[in-house]
Amino acid sequence: MNTILEVRDLGISFGSNQVLKSVSFDLYENEILGVIGPNGAGKTVMLNILSGILKPGKGSVSFMGRDILPMSIVERTRLGFGRTFQIPRSFENMTAYENGLIGSVYGTGATERAASLKVPAILEMIGLSDRKGVFAGKLGLIDRKRLEIGVALASNPKLLLLDEVAGGLTESEVSDILGIVRGIKEAGVSVIWIEHVLQTMLEGTDRVMLLAEGRDVVCGPPEAVMSSKEVETAYLGA
Amino acid sequence: MNGIFSKGPAGMAGPAWHARRIAPIAVLAVLVSLAFWGSDYLLSIMILIMCYMAIGQMWNLLGGYAGLVSLGQQSFIGLGGYTLAKITQVYHLPVILAFVLAAVISVLFALLISIPVFKMKGVYFTIGTWIVAECLALFFSTWSFSNYAQGYTITATYAFSTAQIYLVALAVGVGALIVVMAVLRSRLGLALMAMRDNAAASEVRGVEQYRTKLKCFLISAAVTGIAGAALYLNQAFIQPANAFGISWTVSMVFIAIIGGMGTVEGPIIGAVIFVLLRQALYNFPGISMMLLGLIAIAIIMIAPRGIMGIIRRKTQFEIFPVRRHPSA
Ligand SMILES: Nc1ncnc2c1ncn2[C@@H]1O[C@H](COP(=O)(O)OP(=O)(O)OP(=O)(O)O)[C@@H](O)[C@H]1O
Ligand SMILES: [Mg+2]
Repeated sequence: MNTILEVRDLGISFGSNQVLKSVSFDLYENEILGVIGPNGAGKTVMLNILSGILKPGKGSVSFMGRDILPMSIVERTRLGFGRTFQIPRSFENMTAYENGLIGSVYGTGATERAASLKVPAILEMIGLSDRKGVFAGKLGLIDRKRLEIGVALASNPKLLLLDEVAGGLTESEVSDILGIVRGIKEAGVSVIWIEHVLQTMLEGTDRVMLLAEGRDVVCGPPEAVMSSKEVETAYLGA
Repeated sequence: MNGIFSKGPAGMAGPAWHARRIAPIAVLAVLVSLAFWGSDYLLSIMILIMCYMAIGQMWNLLGGYAGLVSLGQQSFIGLGGYTLAKITQVYHLPVILAFVLAAVISVLFALLISIPVFKMKGVYFTIGTWIVAECLALFFSTWSFSNYAQGYTITATYAFSTAQIYLVALAVGVGALIVVMAVLRSRLGLALMAMRDNAAASEVRGVEQYRTKLKCFLISAAVTGIAGAALYLNQAFIQPANAFGISWTVSMVFIAIIGGMGTVEGPIIGAVIFVLLRQALYNFPGISMMLLGLIAIAIIMIAPRGIMGIIRRKTQFEIFPVRRHPSA
């Protein structure tokens, strides 16, 4: 198995709040790595470091053998980083279709014409075909979460970072999302998937990592990690 | 012009599509014909509406889309006006040359000041652009080349009839609209609309913030410079304090806010309201700015997204379509 992302000894503090102390892990090509951890554990912070929004205090991140920490947000997007936001950040006064265009045109450098041929297929894949002309701001929560995934996919990512795309959804909606993520993996994309919903981690990932106390506490097969003592301790307290 | 105004949504055909195509041409025809039958009073108001619409559009491009809230657009108005004065009054060269140079000089100056002011974020950018304009005012009032604080009387104006100046203003107004439409329908426009809705997210999607903002800044400088030349062709008299005065940009902000920021229609509506209101308040010069300010505040409280915001809440209505539609 080839490693696509190598994270070593990542740390970050906000003032006296040492959110990440030392996080290390590998992500393999075409793997879905689940990340769990209590509220405020620093999962979103870790994603923000990976996509370039935050600068870590220490540690290294290499993507396909390249040190990405000096790269800008835009450079990382063009290199193959796609992501969603925990609270959807769609372009509200643009239609679902136009949101997809942004992802494709600016994420890959494609022309608008080339993008216009690709985006409808992506909207189809995420189940938004019938709402492509609706302003993103007028979509419901599930549709906005789907759109987040779609916009990220439109940039042709090699690595997709998902931040709680299933949170707050009903059981059948969660199944829809599981299906979409499976499709993404089949397309050859590697995924880091942060989620609190148990079902998604058990059914949708290859490995799960527990992030707690600023560290990568355990990492391994989903069932083993989810039933481990460490997870119990992290969520219920010692 | 066809490419800019007439592209209807896919699948849209028949009378509605033809109306889209014909309406702008009809409106333009009426506006041009005004030069032949409009009274001087009507034309002088239309001149102002056209010029203010142009500069309102340009401020909106910055403030409404690119997140660049400038209080220094008067730099380009003044540069445009002084270019006109110098070219016609001192060098006795044709007016058209002044318009071309107004754009060139404005762009060059914008490029120059972008180096310091683009390092400033948010409110610092706003203040920075204002300080630059104040410096220009000071500099021009002590510079022999620009005839110190006396400035110039632009006698070239007297060679034009009101109708002719109106046609110039019309060209500037329609030109500004075409520029805005062309920008918004281009790849750059896609980025601008995304930045308008969520700048941080647009960056994550791959929109280079600095470059996009700079392009906008240069485009708006060029058109504002040209509009400045047109405004001073109408005014026939230029002095530094007025030419580089902040009230130009205050007007642009008023126009964009009451019309609706981040829309093409907003500055058109805003300019009409602004010019008519100012005309109505003409006899109360002391309080007219204050009243305009109060009206702006009232509108912000009732309709934070301006008049277009009220219209858009009910419909997806747009006169100047910039939406993208899937071809299938
Ligand atoms: N930009 C920031 N500046 C200061 N503190 C921050 C910043 N971003 C996050 N934090 C802090 O870092 C900690 C971790 O936040 P983070 O959002 O990563 O948690 P999380 O694991 O994603 O939690 P949740 O499951 O609730 O989404 C919190 O205490 C938060 O207040
Ligand atoms: Mg989070």
